[in-house]
Amino acid sequence: MKSVLFATLLVAACPLTAFGQTANDLLNAEHTPQNVLTYGMSYSQQRFSPLTQINRQTVKRLVPAWSYSMNNNTGEESQPLVYNGVVYITSQNKTVAVDALTGKAIWNTPIDYPSDTTRVVCCGIVNRGAAIYDGKVFRTTLDARVIALDMKTGKQIWSVKSGDAKDGIAMTGAPLIADGVLMVGMAGAEYGSRGYVEAYDPNDGRRLWRHYTVPRPGEPGADSWPDHAANASGGSSWTTGAFDPALDLVYWGIGNPAPWNALLRRGDDLYTNSILALRPKTGEVVWYFQTSPNDPFDHDNITSIILADLTIDGRPAKVLLQAGRNGFYYVLDRKTGELIAANPYVKVTWASGVDKETGRPKWTETTKKAIAYTDQIETWPHITGGTNWYPSSFDPRTATAYVNTTDYGMKYQPDPVEEIKNLKPGDAYRGVKITPIYNADGMRGHLRAIDPLTGKSKWAIPFKSPNWAGTLVTAGGLVFTGELTGEFIAVDSDTGKILWQFQTPSGIIGQPVTWEHDGKQYVTVASGTGGVYVLKTPDPNLAHVPPGGTLWTFKLMDE
Amino acid sequence: MTGAYRACRPPLAGGLAFLRHRSRGRVVLCALCLLVAASAHALAQDEAVASGERLYAKYCSNCHGDDLQNNSGVAFDLRRLKADEHARFVNSVLHGKNAMPSWQGVLAPAQLDDLWAYIRAHAYEQ
Ligand code: HEC
Repeated sequence: MKSVLFATLLVAACPLTAFGQTANDLLNAEHTPQNVLTYGMSYSQQRFSPLTQINRQTVKRLVPAWSYSMNNNTGEESQPLVYNGVVYITSQNKTVAVDALTGKAIWNTPIDYPSDTTRVVCCGIVNRGAAIYDGKVFRTTLDARVIALDMKTGKQIWSVKSGDAKDGIAMTGAPLIADGVLMVGMAGAEYGSRGYVEAYDPNDGRRLWRHYTVPRPGEPGADSWPDHAANASGGSSWTTGAFDPALDLVYWGIGNPAPWNALLRRGDDLYTNSILALRPKTGEVVWYFQTSPNDPFDHDNITSIILADLTIDGRPAKVLLQAGRNGFYYVLDRKTGELIAANPYVKVTWASGVDKETGRPKWTETTKKAIAYTDQIETWPHITGGTNWYPSSFDPRTATAYVNTTDYGMKYQPDPVEEIKNLKPGDAYRGVKITPIYNADGMRGHLRAIDPLTGKSKWAIPFKSPNWAGTLVTAGGLVFTGELTGEFIAVDSDTGKILWQFQTPSGIIGQPVTWEHDGKQYVTVASGTGGVYVLKTPDPNLAHVPPGGTLWTFKLMDE
Repeated sequence: MTGAYRACRPPLAGGLAFLRHRSRGRVVLCALCLLVAASAHALAQDEAVASGERLYAKYCSNCHGDDLQNNSGVAFDLRRLKADEHARFVNSVLHGKNAMPSWQGVLAPAQLDDLWAYIRAHAYEQ
């Protein structure tokens, strides 16, 4: 009754357009598996689908229904959205709407940006997806604009400039619609930008608020930058937050301090490497939790945030889950930000554990050295982290998280202070020398089924090159993900056995989704190699993987 | 191989400026003895390559690969640049090309020379 009343009120408050997509739709995303309405497949970002038609038994009949050329060579990290028979997907150079059943283009809107834009694009020339709401498709661009397109025609409705390459700012993340506002983050800690999260009015692009993630003197957190609060930088926000409508809180991951080299920035460097719990309407920070204070290792805390209900010691708990870049799997009370558990899920040597009371990591001697001296040290994980931007998924029925991990360490040596003391926004803010330390078995990554409370893997599949793709888990008992060599794979969620695979034309760094139309289940994913690992890291296993973006949709072949 | 390249590298204006700047004393010696001049050139060349390597790590490696090792095909494999493609190199780096950024106003001509020296020192075809 209550929900009917709510829906009626909602309809009265915001009249539905014919090509609508309402706030109510978004709230119900996890109960409407026929569509994919948000980044993360629902506000909880679990990337779990209750659909079961494609399952352990039937997956052997999974075949391509169509593929579509993205006509882009720089990499496809974008998560497709699916609404009423249309797939919406982004690339760095275009936004497209494709008929979900036939793969035929409906519209295609190119994006142009000034030629200096990618100077400050550190980590892949990509975009990670759109948001849809009230007849519009919203996205960010590399030259740090936020734009709204007409869902039906692809015509631009508004475009606002958020940041500038001269200040080290770019945008790659998918926006989030929460409580009627459009929230976005930015990238650029590697270029000395000052991080922020901000919100716009989805109607006209009017900026509603901007919350800077690192303070200026006199602001909260300023004393955690004793050396230079006046030009504290870093704390970018380049992935997408999760939303709990009942608590009215958005949880956004905040990245590393700048530069990586920590010799000239003592203190905790708030609010870098933190999770911020924000009120979407106002930007007020209700709580924060910092994973890696005073970080020298780029523990950029932007890995995916998942909201879940667990049973802990026999009691129900509303938690937030995050496989941290720093190698610890965090479980927090999402109402208060209190730490419930933090255990390593990959090899970790920079800290011996996390203090249960304070939430602070217990630094090892090598880390103490790395923030104070220019000696070379060895530490795990590598700067890439235990995992990276590519989102993990969570099966609420078994309380298991499916995470693609990177499993290697590094030799790390800070440059002398002379090299970093005169940096200005737009410069490269790294100031360290890094050499990877790979395992003797030649396996640089795993797909893991992780128990969030212990960090332990129930199973793990090794891969020569780390998977740089999102994971999707379904009630059909399948985990979908992609390999950098192009295989799109379906794995038994209980055993970790690869049950099915399909060779796409390029490496996969995208985010698989599943949806349903007229009683048939489909799986959609983009192929197209790129991203920072592929661009930067020498890897003989990838020597013959061609670039080139394509979008794929699969369905079961008729018996 | 690298040595052979050094010997026949055309003396670029920026390269010469670099030589004069960094090793004025040796330039005086050059007037006296051709042999010493040759080794001074080689030394300056080593410095240019080392400087180019640092510039590369800072500005280019994120897209073109650590130590020029490019396995993506996303960005051009710079080791493919041939000795006679200097003009193409300068043009692309100053003005950009599609997703490749322009570096005009960031990299000085002498820095472009150093980058060229580093890239050519590791080129597939000398
Ligand atoms: C943001 C990523 C990025 C950065 C940083 C970058 N490049 Fe590129 N570069 C590219 C891409 C992508 C291409 C391929 C462009 C195309 O053909 O579409 C390219 C192509 C090139 C080419 C070949 C262009 C041609 O003539 O075909 C040269 C030369 C080059 N880059 C040099 C450099 C140098 C030198 C630096 C550092 C100062 C650098 N690049 C930094 C992405 C980058």
